[in-house]
Order: sequence, then C-alpha cells, then structure tokens
Amino acid sequence: MTLIDQLRFNTQVLARQRWRTALLLLTISLGVASVVVLTSVGEGARRYIAGEFSALGQQILIVLPGKTETSGAAPPLYGTSPRDLTLEDANALARLSTIARIAPIIAGTARVSHGSVAREVVTLGTTPDFFPVRNLRIDLGQPLPSSAVDTASPTLVLGAKLKQELFGNSNPLNQWLRIGERRFRVVGVLEERGESLGLDMRDMAIIPIRSAEQLFNSAGLFRILLELKQIDQLELTKRQILNSIRLRHDGEDDVTLISQDSMLNSFDNVLSTLTASVGAIAAISLLVAGILIMNISLISVSQRQREIGLLKALGAPASRVRALFLHESLLLTGAGSLLGIAAGELAVALALQLLPNFPFYAPLWAELAAMLIAVGSGLLFSWWPANRAAGLDPVLAMRGAIGGHQ
Amino acid sequence: MSPVDSGRWVWRALLAQRLRSLLTLLGMAIGISAVSLMSALGEGVRQYVLEEFTQFGSHLLAITPGKTETFGIGGMLNTIRPLSLADAQSLGRLNGIEQVIPVVFGTAAIKHAGLSRHSNVAGVGPDAHSVWQLTLAQGRFLPHDDLESARPFAVLGSTLKQELFGDGQVLGETVHIGSVRFVVIGVLAPKGQFLGTDLDDSAYIPVSRGLRLFNRESLMEIDVVYRPGISAELISHRVKQRLIARHGLEDFTLITQDEVLKSLDQILQMLKYAGGSLGFISLLVGGVGILSIMLITTTERANEIGLLRALGCSAGQVRNLFLGEAIVLALAGCVLGLIITASLLLLSRWLLPGLPLTLAPHMVFLALSVSALIGLLAGVKPATAAAAMNPIEALRQLE
Repeated sequence: MTLIDQLRFNTQVLARQRWRTALLLLTISLGVASVVVLTSVGEGARRYIAGEFSALGQQILIVLPGKTETSGAAPPLYGTSPRDLTLEDANALARLSTIARIAPIIAGTARVSHGSVAREVVTLGTTPDFFPVRNLRIDLGQPLPSSAVDTASPTLVLGAKLKQELFGNSNPLNQWLRIGERRFRVVGVLEERGESLGLDMRDMAIIPIRSAEQLFNSAGLFRILLELKQIDQLELTKRQILNSIRLRHDGEDDVTLISQDSMLNSFDNVLSTLTASVGAIAAISLLVAGILIMNISLISVSQRQREIGLLKALGAPASRVRALFLHESLLLTGAGSLLGIAAGELAVALALQLLPNFPFYAPLWAELAAMLIAVGSGLLFSWWPANRAAGLDPVLAMRGAIGGHQ
Repeated sequence: MSPVDSGRWVWRALLAQRLRSLLTLLGMAIGISAVSLMSALGEGVRQYVLEEFTQFGSHLLAITPGKTETFGIGGMLNTIRPLSLADAQSLGRLNGIEQVIPVVFGTAAIKHAGLSRHSNVAGVGPDAHSVWQLTLAQGRFLPHDDLESARPFAVLGSTLKQELFGDGQVLGETVHIGSVRFVVIGVLAPKGQFLGTDLDDSAYIPVSRGLRLFNRESLMEIDVVYRPGISAELISHRVKQRLIARHGLEDFTLITQDEVLKSLDQILQMLKYAGGSLGFISLLVGGVGILSIMLITTTERANEIGLLRALGCSAGQVRNLFLGEAIVLALAGCVLGLIITASLLLLSRWLLPGLPLTLAPHMVFLALSVSALIGLLAGVKPATAAAAMNPIEALRQLE
C-alpha cells in the first residue's frame, strides 16, 4: 500500500460517514477557532497598549516628585512632597548631555469659560517642547510661543473637544477666554486624538508653565517628561538625574523615575499571561474533542472489523492497520484545524471591520499551538482504538465475531 | 410502556455500551467543570474585591476638589477652587453626618536618630482610624485637637516603625517629617496594601500639619460617614447644597461608596460571565459529542427500533426513548462534572485559603438545566431519525 493508496482509503472512509466526519470537523474547528479568536483579542489589547506607549514618543523618562522606599508598591502617583520639584530643577535636568528635550508639567483642574459657556477641565502648564515629546500635532493655529519656556504669557492651546464645547464650529483663533479669573488668548487647537494613557487630550487646555504657576499659586511640578537622545543611555541618565536632584535638594533624591520601558514591560507581562491563559481555557475544548475522536474511533473499529480482518488476511501487517487508523484521525484533525484557523481568521477580519481602532491580531504562535494540540490530542486519543484494530484476530474479525466495543 | 419501563430501557441501553457512554459523559463533564470552575473563580474574585472595598463600611461618601470626570486623579491635581478644612468642619455640622475625615496624601523623608526612610505621609482627621478600620498595636490614634491647630503628634505604620525603631521603645520618641518634629503617640497593627499604597509604610499626622508640610491650600479628599438609614441620594444632596452655598458653584466631585461598588460590581460580573462563557466552548463541544454518538447509536440499533415499533410502540414513544437517552447522558455528564468541580474547589480552599471559592447552589441548578437543554438539543435529530424509520425496513436490516 503506497501513501497515496492509504490516503485514498482514508478519504473514502471519511466520505462514506459524512455526518460523523462533519461533526468531528465541527468540534475540532470550533476549538481551534475559539483559541484563535480569544488570543487575537488578548494580543490586540497588548498591541493597543504598546501603540499608546509608542505614540508617547520613543525614549521617555518620567520624573515624579516624592518617593517611597516600599518594595513592590506602586509609585507615589499623587506626587506631593515637602520639597517641591520646580521649573528650576527641570531646567537643571535639561542641561544633562543625554537629554534631548524636556517638558515640565503643572497640572490642575480649572473652570474655562467663554461668554456664557463654561467647562471644568484639566489645565496643563508646560513648555513648547511638550508637543513634540507627546507627539501632539496642532490642527489649527500654532503651539505655545517659544517665549513660553520661561515667561508667563496669556496664550492657550485648546483640546479638540474643549474647542467644540466652547466655540462650536466657529473659529476660536485669537479669541479671548477665561481660566478662573485670568484671561487667555487662543493660539492653537490640538488635532483630534483619542484618550492617551488615562489623560483625555481632547478635553484639555494647555498654557505656558509660568502662567500655570500663577494660576494655581504653586511652583510644584506634577511631572517632568524627559526625552532621551539614545535609549541605551537610560541607566546612565537615571543616575545623572538623581545626582543632579540630590545636589539641588540638600542631598536628598526625593523623586521617582519611571521609564516608558518598565511601564510597557509590566503591561506586556500582564497581558501576555492573560492571553496565554485565555487561550489555554479555550484549548480545553480540544481535549473534549479528543475524547470524542477516541469514542468514535472505537466505534468505527468495531463496526469495520470485517474490513480489518480482510486487510489482515490480504497480508497487511498490524503496523499498517494501526497506521491506517492514525492517519484517519490525523487527516481529520489536520483538516479541522485548518478549517478552524480559517474560521478564526475570518472572525478576526470581521471584528477588525467592526472595530477598526482595536488591533485584533491572531498571533502565529497561538495558531500553531492550537493546531499542534488538536493534532496531538487526535493522535493520542486514537492510539488506543488504532492499537485495538491492529490487534484484532483476522479470522474472528472477518467473521464479525468479536462483538461491539463494550 | 410505563415511565418506569422507559427509564429501565434507557438505563440498559446506556449500560450495554458502557465505554461509549462513559467517554461521552466524560466529554460533557469536562465542559461542565470548565464552565462552573470559571464562574466560581469569577465569583470568588468578585467577592474578594468587593470585600476589600466594603471593609471601610458602606455609608461612605468621598468629595474631591474640581469638577471633572477624570476618575480618581482629581484630588492629586492643583485647583483654583480649594477644598478647605473649614469646608470639612462645616460638613461635620450637617444633619445625618457622623464623621468627617479631611485627607491630604504625600511622601516625605521620616527621620529618627540618624535613620531616614522615604514613606507615605497621610494628613488625616482624628477619626480616620475608626473609619478606615486601622487597629492600633501600641498607644493611641491622633487626638481630637482643634482641626486648624493640632499638636504635632504622629502615628506610625508597622513597617515604618520597624525600619526606624526596630524593636525599641517608640511611644514618646520624636521623628522629623520634613523639618518639623513630631511626637510618636501610636503604632498601627499591620494592615497591608490598598490600591497600591502600602498602609504599613505610612505615617499619619494631623491634617493641618499635612497641608503645611506639603504647602498645599486644598485637601485632596474629604471622606464623609453618614448615619445608616439615610439614603445616599439625600446625603449627597445635602452635602452638595452646603458646599455650593460655601463656594458659590459646584466646583467639586462627589462619589458615593454605592456608586463605586455598583460600577465595580458591574465590571466584575462581566468578567465572571466572560470566564463562564470561555468554559462554555468546551461544553458546546461536549454537546456535539452527544449528538454524534446518538446518531451512530440510532443507526446501529435499527433492528431494535424496528422490533419496538412492531411490538406496538408509537413513533412518538421511540422518539421520546432516544431523547431520554440523550438527556440522561448529558445530565450524568453534568453530575460528574459538578463532582469534579467540587473536589477541585475543595483542593483550592486548601491551597488558596485567601480566595474563598464556592459552588453557588444556583450555579448547580443552572448547570443541570443547561445540560438537560444540551441533551435535548443534541437528541432531537437522532431521535426524530429513529422515529421516522420504517419498521419493516428497520427490522430487516440485519447486521
């Protein structure tokens, strides 16, 4: 019997039992497709977060005021400490040789009003470098003037949503509005962009940092964003920053440094684990499918014992009979997995059409693993039935005297 | 054929193909355990998280400065409309409010005898320990001084105390926080983390001292405990009115514990159902297994069906017999699955005592009814096929 003969034999058997074959294919492809779809959601979430971080710019380091020495706790996000982190500190850091750009931030909530319309939004005081560091683009007008690095000026850039709320569709450029009791002139509007890492950049007002100091009557910075020249200088830069702060803060380095890498890594770890475990739970269905394959193979061995007896009488060795049954299940699970992957990919493509902003993506490893598990469990669970078929006594089997499997 | 006869017939039919029945219900059982384990896990996580949040009591209201929908960070930002200590005191005089805790958080170096540690510092009101369920290991909590001019006392978390004092005497000693000297009057028992902040690695000082230490005008948050029996809506309305009267406009955000719990509960319920439906895929495959085995069974037993019909069974009776067989298979699989789940849950209680996983009675009921339904659906096609057989043809179909 050549391989071609064997294949023909198998396909004939599968075609004869159309219903049975269809149901087995259905179960296997259902299992494989669900692994593919579920991991694509997890992987999509991972890519979405990675995309958010890379939109933040490549080599970003964030400095927060205050620190704790608790091991394993979250960084002190509330950022209050007895000694303020000031614009002067930020300017000292800007002189470090490894730092390309720096964006100090004072953040607060304030009431922004124009005419009779008012809205309470987050107001950021910062420098012009904030825009390139955060990869923010201006839709209308221009960013903060270059003088905003170190002088207060009544200029302001609006987020897209805030502009819509205050001005509707009319042109906001050079209009005056109020933040608290102070007047500011609109010089630019940000390009529409979604939420970015918890801060809705659309609903925000951006003013020069010195103006924010006056507005909130506080010199304390909320954050400093630093863009490095080269990513491989991260550790060196961290040491230099701490040294510089220590010199300026009476020997205390009371700041916390967060690198984009470490944030991304922790997100990445969580989401990868989640994806893998969701995939694993879906893969349990492949185990159930495997048990079904075993059951049906056992039945077909007892139903086809005459045929097996004939094969053996014609001189087929036991190993040939075993191979026939194993190949049958290999063919089934292989076809089932391919069908499942195709169905899964189709579902992913459909989901991409429906939610174009979310990068669904079925990872190759998940598809390969699902296929491997399907084929593996098919082989494993048909091993016993195949052995049973191989061990049949040809004479008794041809007579149909061995009875059904009990 | 009486129901008892039918039952016996189904039972015999299943026993006659012992291995086949066993494998079929094993598939079903794995599906059921996947669903019920995932839901038990989801429910356990839900209970755990909700408990974490309700430990502070449920009659709680938090007020943060600034009116924006930036969930949770409002208090950390600067504001031009500060929430002051006087606001907190004024709220304390409202009818129905039992305790008011003004809060300001930050980090600072805490020094004692040449040792220094950067830790969390919480400026709080004197009632904080009873509202936040902090228990004292030594001494007492901050006294009820005048809010604006409280004496410089500090209470240390257990980790902080261990780092600065080791096992030595603490009460009556002084620590420096920022540039101010505080007298330690109490040490807290270990409490653990809450939302990423280590409550044990913290120092608690009077709120007015905290505002001065961090050079802030505004509190980060005011926690209000109201009398049980008053609705959250009524209390939020009163608080809102009072603060608007004081500030001239609504420049603050109010969050009731009810709302937090409700939205948290929604998310966790969704997670639970998502987990359960992940397991459902396996259950579906198990159901298809019953369908295919029943299909094979009916064609194999054509003889028997023919005989039954020849002896006077109606087509409907034959259909019901096979339907019954499918349902019994599914239910038996379900029971096996529930037994597997229960034993795994018992094991988990031994391995993970912190996360109490239980099999809720309604889950058992749900699993049983879903399995019966699956058995029914899987049995329809084979059973109707069996009922539609021509009795003479079926009888003649010798093996």
